[in-house]
Amino acid sequence: MTAVERIAADTADRPARERLTPRRILPWLLSAVIGVLCVVPFLLVIAISFGRKIEGAAWVWDFTLENYERFFVGALWPDEVTFLYLQQLGFSFWYAVVASLLAVMTALPFTLLLTGLSRRAQAAWLAFILSSLSLSEVFIVMGWDILLSNNSGLPALFKSTGLTQWLKDVGWFQTLRDWGLASPRNVKFKTSQFATILTMSYLVWPYAVILLFPALSRLDRSQSEAARTMGAGGWTVARTVILPAIRLPLFGSTLLLFVFLLGTYVAVTVFAAPAQHTTAVAIYTNIRGANLNAPFGATQAVILLISAGVCLGLGHRLNRWAEAR
Amino acid sequence: MRILGPLYMAFCAVLLALPIAVVCGAALNGGRSMFFPPRDPTLARFGEFFVSEPVWTQALLNSVVVAVGAATLAVLLAWPVAYLLWSTGSKLSRTLAALGSMPFAVPPIVFGVGLGFFWGFLGGLGTIWAGVVSHAVLLMALPLVTISIGLQSIDRSHLDAAATMGATESVTFRTVILPQTIPYTISGFFFVLVLSFNEFIVMFFVSASGFATVTLQIFNSLRNGYTPTMAVAAITFIGVSVLVFSAVARWGDLPRLMGADQSRN
Repeated sequence: MTAVERIAADTADRPARERLTPRRILPWLLSAVIGVLCVVPFLLVIAISFGRKIEGAAWVWDFTLENYERFFVGALWPDEVTFLYLQQLGFSFWYAVVASLLAVMTALPFTLLLTGLSRRAQAAWLAFILSSLSLSEVFIVMGWDILLSNNSGLPALFKSTGLTQWLKDVGWFQTLRDWGLASPRNVKFKTSQFATILTMSYLVWPYAVILLFPALSRLDRSQSEAARTMGAGGWTVARTVILPAIRLPLFGSTLLLFVFLLGTYVAVTVFAAPAQHTTAVAIYTNIRGANLNAPFGATQAVILLISAGVCLGLGHRLNRWAEAR
Repeated sequence: MRILGPLYMAFCAVLLALPIAVVCGAALNGGRSMFFPPRDPTLARFGEFFVSEPVWTQALLNSVVVAVGAATLAVLLAWPVAYLLWSTGSKLSRTLAALGSMPFAVPPIVFGVGLGFFWGFLGGLGTIWAGVVSHAVLLMALPLVTISIGLQSIDRSHLDAAATMGATESVTFRTVILPQTIPYTISGFFFVLVLSFNEFIVMFFVSASGFATVTLQIFNSLRNGYTPTMAVAAITFIGVSVLVFSAVARWGDLPRLMGADQSRN
């Protein structure tokens, strides 16, 4: 029996027992508030995803699978099959997977070094990282946009320093053109998958550090030291001692970042070519943008939610498994 | 390896600061367009942002109202849940904590869409109080975590001592539990404040163009091309974030909040 329970039992013995005390009302009140605010919006999305759009008007409640059918095989099925929406989901996955992997792989050595510092230094670094973490997607995109846009930023820098000419001379310019990273005259990063993935990766990099930090700071350093005394090099230690110990949190963090990136909107609208836009952008166009087809937007949101849910569940299970061992 | 480590950390820091530095530099431009490095540097844009341009001053006011309101509400929502979770550990409290963290865990665009419908039905779409409530719910997970960490740090023997000395539950709460968790509550408050300040996509759906916060205003101006005034907004926001997290790092235990191992210093 904990102290709190004992105190609670004492209070319960008093005559006030029958009255409606705050202690009794509180859980119910909380359940109601959280139920309405946290759960109802998701239920609405799910319910509306089965609704039907009326041409030239809004939409009505219904129970039709048309929207889901449209998502997977296109509106004209069975006469014609299009995979446009699946392709958008594919781009969502592709950007998110590459960007989250990139972020975790570069954040891992950084975090490892961070945990080796003094407590004060750690606090300072964490404050810096949290500041950049909280920075709005809008500002980050703005910063990279200035850096990557064709008139100012890196392409202009490439040209003025003669780097463009050098790239042309050694023949790498053609390779860049093949990758879509150059126009006939100069390098060009907008619009490109490179810019999209770079910005998205930047977006979650601080999250990667914050997520890896607990696992890495609990890492038993004596093991790596033992391996070192036995003559293992830095790389061998990382590969045979550190990596196996943090395998699961590493995977769990990647999954969380991946889920977070599935919904990226601003970076994709600014940096990706329209043909390579993602489900998140399509959701916006349907609900608030040009298409005005809320049920179909909701359907896409549900599919994004399911994808995220599956990944989160998997990540959660892995983390628990890691803790249990 | 000795040199390589700090070098890599420095490299990461530079890369992390690069777009921020560029935005800051762009704010000093004298003309109407953004250049980097800035041309004809001036501080006039700061005046425009804080004083003379009603579009920006109104947006800034909205941002502050939403952030402060949401942070207060989020802490008020998270406290009872965290307390219930800590004191009873019941199934109900665990469910509540999980549901309360759900909006933060899924892609925000989905929750934004849901809230758009939700406020549409309730008639709150495009009003600022709907924005406040939306952000509070979205970010409630943060004070929930920090307050829970704070509650876990309370030595249970203190509670036993209080109980043996005849303290009632409310007295124990006021004299033992509350003082020890205040730093964590404040950290949670500021986390919500800063994240709400910078949040974009949920507010995008909830505001329905009825009002604009600074991030929304920047996105709206995005199609007309960037102006240096937007960069001033960015600087302000970065400044606030750095200030808040430095304060948390200075007076709170940031490594512990982030889950560092306690046994090592």
